[in-house]
Amino acid sequence: MSMRWYVARRLAWAAVAAFVVLSGYFVLLQLAPGDGRAAFAFSVATEGGNASAAVETFEQTRGLTGPLHEQYLDFMSNMIVGDWGWSFTRNEPVIDAMAKAYPYSLQYAIPSTILAIIFGYGIGLYSATHQYTLTDYFGTFVAFFGISIPNFWFGIMLILILAVTAPEVTLFGVELLPLPSFYQTGVVEDHGWFSWANARQLIMPVIVLTTASIAANMRYSRAEALEYVHAEFVKTARAKGAGDWRVLTRHILRPALVPLMTIFIADLLGLLFAGAYLTEVVFQIPGLALLSFNALINQDTPLVMATTLVPVLLFLVGNLLQDLAYTVLDPRIDYGDR
Amino acid sequence: MATDDSFRDVDWDAMGGAGLTTRELAMLAFGGMFLALLGFDFLVLHDGLNWLLGLVEGPQFEWVAEREGAPLPFAIDLSTSDWLLVPTIAVMLFYGVWPLYDNPRLAAYYWRRFRRNKAAMVSAVYLLLIFAVGMIGPALVETPELAFDQVSQPPVFMTADMSTTAGSCVGETVTRTVDGTPTTLCQGTWEHPLGTTNEGKDIVTLLVLGMRVSMKVSLITMLLVISIGSLVGTTAAYYGGYVDEVLMRYVDIQGTFPSFFLFLILAYLFTPTLGLLIALFGLLGWEGTSRLVRSEALQRTEEEYVRAAENAGASDGWIIRRHILPNVSTTVITNATLLIPSFILLEAALAFLGLTDPSVASWGKTISAGRDYLSSAWWIATLPGVFLFFTILAFNMVGDGLRDALDPRSEGRS
Repeated sequence: MSMRWYVARRLAWAAVAAFVVLSGYFVLLQLAPGDGRAAFAFSVATEGGNASAAVETFEQTRGLTGPLHEQYLDFMSNMIVGDWGWSFTRNEPVIDAMAKAYPYSLQYAIPSTILAIIFGYGIGLYSATHQYTLTDYFGTFVAFFGISIPNFWFGIMLILILAVTAPEVTLFGVELLPLPSFYQTGVVEDHGWFSWANARQLIMPVIVLTTASIAANMRYSRAEALEYVHAEFVKTARAKGAGDWRVLTRHILRPALVPLMTIFIADLLGLLFAGAYLTEVVFQIPGLALLSFNALINQDTPLVMATTLVPVLLFLVGNLLQDLAYTVLDPRIDYGDR
Repeated sequence: MATDDSFRDVDWDAMGGAGLTTRELAMLAFGGMFLALLGFDFLVLHDGLNWLLGLVEGPQFEWVAEREGAPLPFAIDLSTSDWLLVPTIAVMLFYGVWPLYDNPRLAAYYWRRFRRNKAAMVSAVYLLLIFAVGMIGPALVETPELAFDQVSQPPVFMTADMSTTAGSCVGETVTRTVDGTPTTLCQGTWEHPLGTTNEGKDIVTLLVLGMRVSMKVSLITMLLVISIGSLVGTTAAYYGGYVDEVLMRYVDIQGTFPSFFLFLILAYLFTPTLGLLIALFGLLGWEGTSRLVRSEALQRTEEEYVRAAENAGASDGWIIRRHILPNVSTTVITNATLLIPSFILLEAALAFLGLTDPSVASWGKTISAGRDYLSSAWWIATLPGVFLFFTILAFNMVGDGLRDALDPRSEGRS
């Protein structure tokens, strides 16, 4: 079984899985409450119109009439094209609402991911080669702390400590504490995306989001690197006089990278999305997750479906990339085996 | 040819032979009693279908005397999750504690290894305390209700401004100078040692009820995940081929959904009661366990003893039950113990977002209620979170400790 055949099978499987997910969404859409028809009928009725006729027109224009398989085909073609429905709570197409929201999500998600990867893997690998040192214990402590602390509670505690009860601290005329207790979009409009004022708003969300990911990364990379720290080839390298750094980067990292890559994408994405959800709700950052949450509360089904679909599809793509990366990085695996 | 070294008479009954062991008899007896009780509750005490369709999180322990038309002067009204808890604890006792009791040398070995990990020991003690309080506590405390005469009372030894408490004060008030102006402060009392929420509910009560919720979530989901996961995993590994392919494809599909969003959507479609939430967690969260069990079982199916058992005529079910499952059990247990914290966290997160049953006193819900009062009544959001954090931390440490103690592969690691 060759690699090309495996890649083709894997891509086909990803397509099948995406198809299954979308079909599942269609089913859920049929079961879900609230796509605005009740509110629409109510508003028409209060103006003295014919509520049932209004509901019929509503259904016709939104493609909710007709036999189920026709609705299904319409739904699938709309999804692929990008017409993801109309959000009645925000009075705009779902795609537009999401386009406005995602920059806010990216601005804290990207720094958080970068920090988590650098510090997580860095400290993990370091503590694997320097076991039982202070850094190792510190790393273990941070790892346990990070995976155990509930994101949302950590965010609230940070707000309590750094925003609500913090004394005023200024350094060289730059205001450090207290941090703003929730995110304000006005700051972005007034000072710009890369201003210090905006960065100050993002410090706490980034800390909260990074903690869980750092902890997971640290644990995994430490465990994986430990598998190779006692390996024969490492002993050989040390016997030949290689320093710690060289041993780490040139001998341990390469085989440890394979499982790290596989864990990196899938689990990190999972943690990221769930964590982002709670972070945005706690700090009121108007990103994709808060959009989704507000849609959830207001029962705006098309928006809810679309905003939860994005992370699911990204997760699917992430898994696919992860499996493909695995085939590239590890020449040992047998493609006939699962 | 008969020699002195002939085939020895094996005492098959002592080995558990063809009949049922004492343990299995005890399990059957318990199962019978449980089903009888369930049937009694279903048919006699409730109006039949109402119980099943409603799946209502009813009052947890209710001694009802003199109910009209009731066949008995008392009724124990247990909710779905309570009913699930009973067999869960029974299974834990039968499959976890009984085998250890039967095999004291192995139990002592595991205990010695577990004891080395101090953090895990402390965590285990903490968890046992939570378990005890969670089981007994809710029967001793009363259901918290809205009470506007004790809004946002501070914890004992602390004071709060009267504006925070909306003018109500259970303890004595004292007037002190704060920021230059004399203000009346309400003092905390021992009646509410950890204060009350903005709705006047005692925080200690909420903490105790929350312990129950966390405990239910952790134990029942763990059991469901272990059972389904190991069943699927061992079956796929043992039979291989087509069965393996189909099962693993399904597991893949179940794994494509990040669990948080799956539960988010399900919670959106219908507000799940605690029992339903637990059932959903358990039924949809086992793919990781099944993959792990499958890879472990794959190593075992090639072993000689499995081959020997097949030759001796053992059925597939026997081999899976008696040979493969016990050998993968240590990995399964450590995996399960490490899964529990993520389920507790998931339930707390969903409660925080307000997507679960509002009548359930989960810790996440209390934290969410306290969010608006950080500057005034900070204890509402802080205290449940402390317990939540330590419970999850304890489970993680115990899981780590169990893995070091039970899993022979981790010998080489640190």
